[in-house]
Amino acid sequence: MSSRQRTTLFLIAVAGLAPLFAWGFRNLPPMGDYRGPYGYAVTQVAVYERHATDVVNAINYDYRGFDTLGEEFILFASILGVLLLFRPSGDDHKGKKQAQVEDALPVSDTLRVGMQAMAGTMVIFGLYIAAHGQLTPGGGFQGGVILATVPLVVYLSGDVKTFEAIVSNPLTKLAECGGAGGYAIIGALAMLGGAHFLTNFLPLGQTGDLFSSGTIAVISVTVGVEVTGGFLVLMRSYLREIIEERLQGEE
Amino acid sequence: MLNYLAYAVAAWVFLWGLYGIVTSKNLVHQVVCLAILQTSTYVLLLAIGFKIGGTAPIFADIPVGTPVVDPLVQALMLTDVVVEATVAALLLSMVVKANEVAGTVDPEELRILMG
Amino acid sequence: MSLTTAIPFCVALPLIIAALLALVSRWIGRRVCDSLAIAAAACNVLLALVILRGVWSHPLIYWFGNWWPRPGGVALGICFNVDAVGAALAVLTATLTLAGLIYSWKIFEDTENHFQPLMLIFMAAMCGFSYTGDLFNLFVFFELMSVSAFALCGLKTLEPAPLQGAFNFAIVNTVGAFMIVMGIGLLYARTGALNFAQVGRSLGRTPADALVLLAFLLIAVGYMTKAAIVPFHFWLADAHAVAPSPVCVLFSGVMVELGLYAVARIYWTIFSGTLAAHEGQLREILLMLATLCAVVGGLMCYAEHHLKRLLAFSTISHAGLMLAGIGLLTPKALGGFLIYVLSHGTIKGGLFLSAGILLHRHQKIGEDHLHGCGRGMWWTAALFVIGAFGLAGILPFGTLLGESMISEAAKSVQQSWIAYAFVFAEVFTAGAVLRATFRIFFGWGEPAPTDKSSRVEEKPETEETRQRTPAAMFLPTAALILLGIAIGAVPQLRGTAEGAAGVFVDSSHYAQMVLDNAAPAPPRKAPEEPLTSSIVRSSVAGALALALALGSVFRKKLAPALNFTRSLELGNSALRAAHSGHPGDYVAWQSLGMAAIGGLFAWLLH
Repeated sequence: MSSRQRTTLFLIAVAGLAPLFAWGFRNLPPMGDYRGPYGYAVTQVAVYERHATDVVNAINYDYRGFDTLGEEFILFASILGVLLLFRPSGDDHKGKKQAQVEDALPVSDTLRVGMQAMAGTMVIFGLYIAAHGQLTPGGGFQGGVILATVPLVVYLSGDVKTFEAIVSNPLTKLAECGGAGGYAIIGALAMLGGAHFLTNFLPLGQTGDLFSSGTIAVISVTVGVEVTGGFLVLMRSYLREIIEERLQGEE
Repeated sequence: MLNYLAYAVAAWVFLWGLYGIVTSKNLVHQVVCLAILQTSTYVLLLAIGFKIGGTAPIFADIPVGTPVVDPLVQALMLTDVVVEATVAALLLSMVVKANEVAGTVDPEELRILMG
Repeated sequence: MSLTTAIPFCVALPLIIAALLALVSRWIGRRVCDSLAIAAAACNVLLALVILRGVWSHPLIYWFGNWWPRPGGVALGICFNVDAVGAALAVLTATLTLAGLIYSWKIFEDTENHFQPLMLIFMAAMCGFSYTGDLFNLFVFFELMSVSAFALCGLKTLEPAPLQGAFNFAIVNTVGAFMIVMGIGLLYARTGALNFAQVGRSLGRTPADALVLLAFLLIAVGYMTKAAIVPFHFWLADAHAVAPSPVCVLFSGVMVELGLYAVARIYWTIFSGTLAAHEGQLREILLMLATLCAVVGGLMCYAEHHLKRLLAFSTISHAGLMLAGIGLLTPKALGGFLIYVLSHGTIKGGLFLSAGILLHRHQKIGEDHLHGCGRGMWWTAALFVIGAFGLAGILPFGTLLGESMISEAAKSVQQSWIAYAFVFAEVFTAGAVLRATFRIFFGWGEPAPTDKSSRVEEKPETEETRQRTPAAMFLPTAALILLGIAIGAVPQLRGTAEGAAGVFVDSSHYAQMVLDNAAPAPPRKAPEEPLTSSIVRSSVAGALALALALGSVFRKKLAPALNFTRSLELGNSALRAAHSGHPGDYVAWQSLGMAAIGGLFAWLLH
């Protein structure tokens, strides 16, 4: 189909879809007045039942923890997929001289100093966010992403060698797989006491404490570890891909 | 009328994202349009869960019982964001590999499978 | 092993082992990784069988995290609602994954040990999908299934075609997934719940208004995209043409069918009350879609000469037949759907593995290229022929039982014409496979007409060719095809399937079981009607398929009246042009399809 035919076909479809959406959305409750028992019920009971002050994370890691397990494995599977797609093909990696990325980027002093200062702050900030999942907005995913951005900040500060060293560290694979498998294992451990999968079996502690809410805090940290490891593994495979392209470009 | 503005925005962005995918001439552009399509679902979910006068569902310094917005749609949205980011990562790696193997990112030129 | 332990482990065990395999992938050899993956899949088969045995007579509700529903029927946690239908689908998933993993033992190309964990995650996602009782959990497993499928589809990265196929697959399915999220959001806005039972009870029997209809449209279209119903089907042929054979087995054998299962589950638990007044009109819309799908799939199937694309279009055609099973909206038809899925899945899986054996032995997959090359491979030829007759649904196969139940149900709601759609699809799909067998394995007639698509993907997926087919490849193939026959031999299968379907469609009782901890009702075994009319129809279909295949193969030697077979083989040029390989085209058709079905809903169901 030519591009014009395709656009025409789509515009005919829109002529049907837009009125459908308008007709259906008209019956939604007006914004600002959500109905329904699920949200109200959880906000009433979450603090008492789980000693967690952040209700969103209580839902994510406890009430609907099984969804989050699936979501974590979506991250894991897509990183495996990227590794699978970027695997070195056949005879490329036998006995070739290693192409290098340059050791340092030419960056301005402002950028270099600014990024170096940010790197340290971000590590602490990321750890803080991941550890306080049950108390404040944040949690494992958000903290993990902040931590995973640290090597990029290091790269922007011009220090490519450290960036390579961080992402090529074998611990990143352990973090990724350990985090993903660890979440499922925590769920399985709950069954040792006869409860169902992913029951919160650790002592709940005092509301507002750092070590409270039982497995919510533990799962939050596990997820943070997995997200960090996963993104670092992703960066490493993209880096490897760039190196391979340069190798092929040189031939 | 203004009560429904957010829902209208969600439908509008959804249709624009679809339009972008249909008329795109670059695979990377198509992946980004897919991400834009996804943001329409975020807008819809968050608008559904909003409460006028409600605050964030964090009870660290407010007593239980204060009106808060719906925490459930926020939890759903967090899951959605992760799903979208990972699918986009996988798709972009396919595009990178396609560029390396076929030398093009134009879907018109990449039409090897057809019929 | 008690049932409450087996249910979560059916999903969690493969996930844990996949994480473990990914961790040590660098240090263990290929053989160890394969063995561990096969062992995990075998454990899953056993777990799924244990679960099926446990829920045979009554479904079991499993609440994660011990979050039982609150008084008043508010569900705060996620539940698995395990009944016989879902459990049977999980057994099918695990069996097909086991067959695929055994098939890829040692010979399969090197993937740095990332293929096996992805297969295990794919299997876990599909098992979770079959068991779940929560709307958003269904979506999460749908996405997990999709992401693993995208990655597995694009496995062969040395050619551009697999990347194009995987990309088209990903774009179309992800657009469908976002539609599902919108639908879930709309249902949540109306009912404030995500659990099937709670949403269904909240919607109750009040007639559906525009919001509920829009939600049903979005969710149904999203899942039908996965189920490859016309016009959402364009991605399937591209994905199958380039995915490795064990992965194609899972795609056609169970992933597509799970999309249809989701439509059925969501309709019966949530929408059957609100749409009850318009059941007849909905039935007609769904049957019309099903017939369109069966016809388009059958015609395109006959026009293909790339073996895997041919089998992919036959899947689309049979998906239309399975949609008819659901679309009739009766328990008997749903029971027929279940039996059809089980036997079609194994037979189609066996056929894909046989095509893979051909690719392994001769490094070619086009019917014209392979003309006469298969002489001497008698066992593989036998598997192809048996599989073809399985697609036609003749006597010993389970597909016959499924078709008979669906046709009887159709007669009871005055839609008995659907039996002709079955015959049409069976003739064309079985005829295409038989035609390919005669040309490739017996070398009869002239080589097939060349078309562009049959040239694609001539790269091998195995590392070295051998003179003999390895046992690791042949045994799972034969086992799957024999399973398709064995399913037909299970005594009282139709009665049991209809009883299980009766439990499936009873939405008010389901809601009581989930939300109020009521005791499950025992399924009623339905009387089984004689099979004679189905046997007659399917024998006619089988004979016609054979005649069509022979006519196509020998058309030059026989009468010139058979020249119509040539035009059938070349296919309708407009139809072929529509399958253009451009993702923008596919999404445009998807939008048009959604608008058309939405228009029908607004007109007939409001």
